[in-house]
Amino acid sequence: MVVSRPYLPRTPAVKPSRGTPWLFLSPFLVLFTLFYIAPVMYAGYLSLFIKKRAGFGAAKEVFGGMANYVRAFQDTEFLSSLLNILKFGVVQIPIMMLVATALALVLDAAKNRLQGVFRTAFYLPYTIPSVIAGLLWGYLYSKNLSPFNQIVTALGGGRVDFLGSDIVLWSIANIVTWTWTGYNMITLYAALQNIPTDLYEAARIDGASPWQLTRDIKLPLLKPSLLLVLIFSIIGTMQVFAEPFVLRPLGYVPDNITPNTYLYLVASRDGNFSYAATLAILLAIFTFLMSAVFLRFTRRGGEL
Amino acid sequence: MKKPQLKTALLSLSALLFAGSALAADPAFPKAPAGKVTLEVWSWVPGLDKTVAAFEKAYPNIDVKVTNLGGGPQTYTKLLTTLKAGTGAPDVAQVEYGFVPSFVDTGGLADLSTLGANNYKKYFVPWTWGQVSPDGKAVFAIPQDTGPFAMVYRDDVLKKYGIAAPKTWAEYEKAAATMYTKSGGKVKMGNFYATFAPWFMALAWADGGQFFKRDGDSWVQTLNNPSAKKVLNYWYGMIKKGHVGTIQAFTADYWNAAGAGQVASNFEAAWGPGGYAGSMKDKGAGLWRAANIPQWTASNTVKSGNWGGSSSVVTAQSKNKQAALLFSLWLNLSETAISQNWTNGGLFPASDAGLDFAILKDKTKNPSKFFGGQDISSVYATASRGVNVNFQWAPWFPFANDNFNKQMDLMLKGKLTPNQALDAWQRETLAEAKKQGYTAR
Amino acid sequence: MVRKEKFTPLQILALTLFAIYALLPLWWVIVTIFKDNGQLFSTFGLWFGNKSYLSENLNTLFTRQDGIFTRWAVNSIVYAGTTALGSVVVSAMAGYAFSAYEFKGKDALFGLILATIMVPSTALVLPLFLMMQKMGLLNTYWAVILPGLVNPFGLYLMRLFWDAGFPKDLMEAARIDGAGEWTIFQRLGLPLVRGGLVTVGLFAFVAAWNNFFLPLVAVSREDLFPLTLGLSVWNQTSSSSGQEPIYTVIVLGSLISILPLVLAFLTLGRYWQGGLANGAVKG
Repeated sequence: MVVSRPYLPRTPAVKPSRGTPWLFLSPFLVLFTLFYIAPVMYAGYLSLFIKKRAGFGAAKEVFGGMANYVRAFQDTEFLSSLLNILKFGVVQIPIMMLVATALALVLDAAKNRLQGVFRTAFYLPYTIPSVIAGLLWGYLYSKNLSPFNQIVTALGGGRVDFLGSDIVLWSIANIVTWTWTGYNMITLYAALQNIPTDLYEAARIDGASPWQLTRDIKLPLLKPSLLLVLIFSIIGTMQVFAEPFVLRPLGYVPDNITPNTYLYLVASRDGNFSYAATLAILLAIFTFLMSAVFLRFTRRGGEL
Repeated sequence: MKKPQLKTALLSLSALLFAGSALAADPAFPKAPAGKVTLEVWSWVPGLDKTVAAFEKAYPNIDVKVTNLGGGPQTYTKLLTTLKAGTGAPDVAQVEYGFVPSFVDTGGLADLSTLGANNYKKYFVPWTWGQVSPDGKAVFAIPQDTGPFAMVYRDDVLKKYGIAAPKTWAEYEKAAATMYTKSGGKVKMGNFYATFAPWFMALAWADGGQFFKRDGDSWVQTLNNPSAKKVLNYWYGMIKKGHVGTIQAFTADYWNAAGAGQVASNFEAAWGPGGYAGSMKDKGAGLWRAANIPQWTASNTVKSGNWGGSSSVVTAQSKNKQAALLFSLWLNLSETAISQNWTNGGLFPASDAGLDFAILKDKTKNPSKFFGGQDISSVYATASRGVNVNFQWAPWFPFANDNFNKQMDLMLKGKLTPNQALDAWQRETLAEAKKQGYTAR
Repeated sequence: MVRKEKFTPLQILALTLFAIYALLPLWWVIVTIFKDNGQLFSTFGLWFGNKSYLSENLNTLFTRQDGIFTRWAVNSIVYAGTTALGSVVVSAMAGYAFSAYEFKGKDALFGLILATIMVPSTALVLPLFLMMQKMGLLNTYWAVILPGLVNPFGLYLMRLFWDAGFPKDLMEAARIDGAGEWTIFQRLGLPLVRGGLVTVGLFAFVAAWNNFFLPLVAVSREDLFPLTLGLSVWNQTSSSSGQEPIYTVIVLGSLISILPLVLAFLTLGRYWQGGLANGAVKG
């Protein structure tokens, strides 16, 4: 408890010592250094080595300088995996954000019991572990048994091969959308709920229509949340892994469908940990650049 | 029906009674090391804990801890990590034959020939030893189970369309055409597994196809060998005409189609029938049969290939290699272990004597029961003894395994001919081998 | 009030459509737990079979491998519970440091921490494994718990909560009253960011509960597996080679494994939503 000392003369507040913030930071920093920084540094170190073999037996890891990085930029499999994920992101992120925003706005429009029911329903997919999501969608995507295909064929359409190599990227996008839309919607919805009602009142007195209300008040105030969702979606997209991975046993999912599956296979299938580390670092830099560009871009847009 | 039942009952009783102690059929195992020893074992064989209990009873000073890290990739990821890290690896791990060389080349596996493993070569079906000892000297694993190929088919469906079980590939092709015409395309004679390279390779293997070969200090890779081209062109012809399907293996679609009698036959490894029984349950139960795979030229000798099957490796990190070898031999040669591995996990033994164990022929249990009480294990035993001995794998097989799917996808889309697909498979995989630092051509 | 009592029919339609999208796969889960493997492959996926196998599935689930499923469930609770609690403490303290103090290199450090979430963990298996080996953590509960305690996203959120919910002048006033720095944090600060603590705790709980990669790296003993890893092992064993597949049992296990998460969100969701908005709006 704070012991008040009414009889002592008031002295100016004691400035905290310079070490104080570091004391508060110490548990985080110690663990962070051990489990994040050290492995990442080690990955960086690994990325400088290449394999050399002479005859049979174990390969020797020898210092290769930037050789792995040079290889990465010539690796068409890796480059096309980046292209894949770019395609994926350009389509999936806007759709997910649009739907999430629309649903959040609709949900925010009224206040009643149904709201809670819908909120929980939308949120549930996020709690499903990827193992079960794989089983689940594996069934829903199967060519002959899929209920979607059964409906389509009943209507006279042709079967869709959801796991076919041309479509599978979008089938993965659907799983990601299914998992994360509700989650993002709740973030946005919560932000909307926090907008002070007097703002609305003022607008209403000015005779604003619901659409004007949305456009002029809700959306601008939602902007920071939208940005947060966007940045985390970009990071999440660059690391898409679990969804393609659980679909792999069900059909042909290309090795390089996403950069993360590709580098995982390079490490754990081909045993090339140093090249995988190189790819991971490049992927991180690429993600960082994308996020930075978006932040810059949207900040400036805000000021205009 | 009574007699075999009684016999198997007696047999399992005796297995229980003698659990642990060496049965007459068991070879003399190496001596157990003195003192208390703990072995760590990674394996995905179901029910292995019970088998291990019998081992511990026979060798009380050896304590075995079994961990199931999941079949295939998951175990390999972890094993590769621990071997690479130089620490944390188990004493014994289960590895499929095709993947053994990739682990050999991490330098993390013990050469068991230095511990006398070659003395046990004679107890195994000959081709399996070639899988674990490619140069005939060093031994990197003890064979565990095998997946020799046989044809499984729906007896009722074939009869319905007036087709006799084909004995040659020419007959098979004709049967597929007949089936297609008579059923209006609703029933397919066969099914091509386009995402399982080892399935395809087994068919080429049966024809004497060689995909990898060690040559002195380098490797020769021939993924586009003549047998492979022959087999793939043969199948592609039937696929294009719609006479055989291309449903993915082990999926709901496949089990549903097979259960509904829309897939009249297929080529499955010895561990396959167990999966049929478990996945289709009462659909088509008792209607399946097994037969030797068709031959390219009519002949009385059966030539077959192998799909899957695994071995027990001992890691170089193991501090108790002698005990680890003893365990690996016992696990794969003793009647107790072979019987239990068959009952619990459907593991078809690599042990030569094991092929004739009565428990494999139990008609009252699956998979035989699902196959109408047929003694399918003797079909598979014939197949196993007809598997080409000189078949080898390369350390970069895991890559080839996945790259195959890519080429088949392009072929099925009509972008590549079968020959082009195999050439591309050869080319891209060879490039990868070179990137991994191998001298290969 | 701007918010009406009722949704318009059009709004209801939109919400219902999306709810169907979200729930349809879960309906499959419910239907599937009543089936055996044969029915799974031969009956219509979105409706029940003619006979219920729920009790058989329950029996298999809880007796397979001497009832190890229960052990995995307990492990999951221990891992996720400890991680959530610990992560809240660690993030709250660190977030407070970033929010309440000025110090050298603050922005650079914060940037560095956020940048690490951009490195995909798939490449860190080997380094992380070596790290844990060196620290003697492999095959211990700590191996799964300790790395989960640092959560850069949690720190980020927590800082936002402190920025939004804890006025600086309050701190100054307390100092003038002679309160120590820890006292200010604990007695004055923490109650003001309760929503943030629940939010970060829930995030950490879900992340730890569904974590698959870390336990895969850190433990190789089945009695230390969490549910995710255990079920995945069963799933792989089930789909590989000629063993009796138990897909419907795995689906049942998965359904049971998500129940605690659903429960947590139903009871704590209120705090969570309010809390997140605070953070996000000011972000």
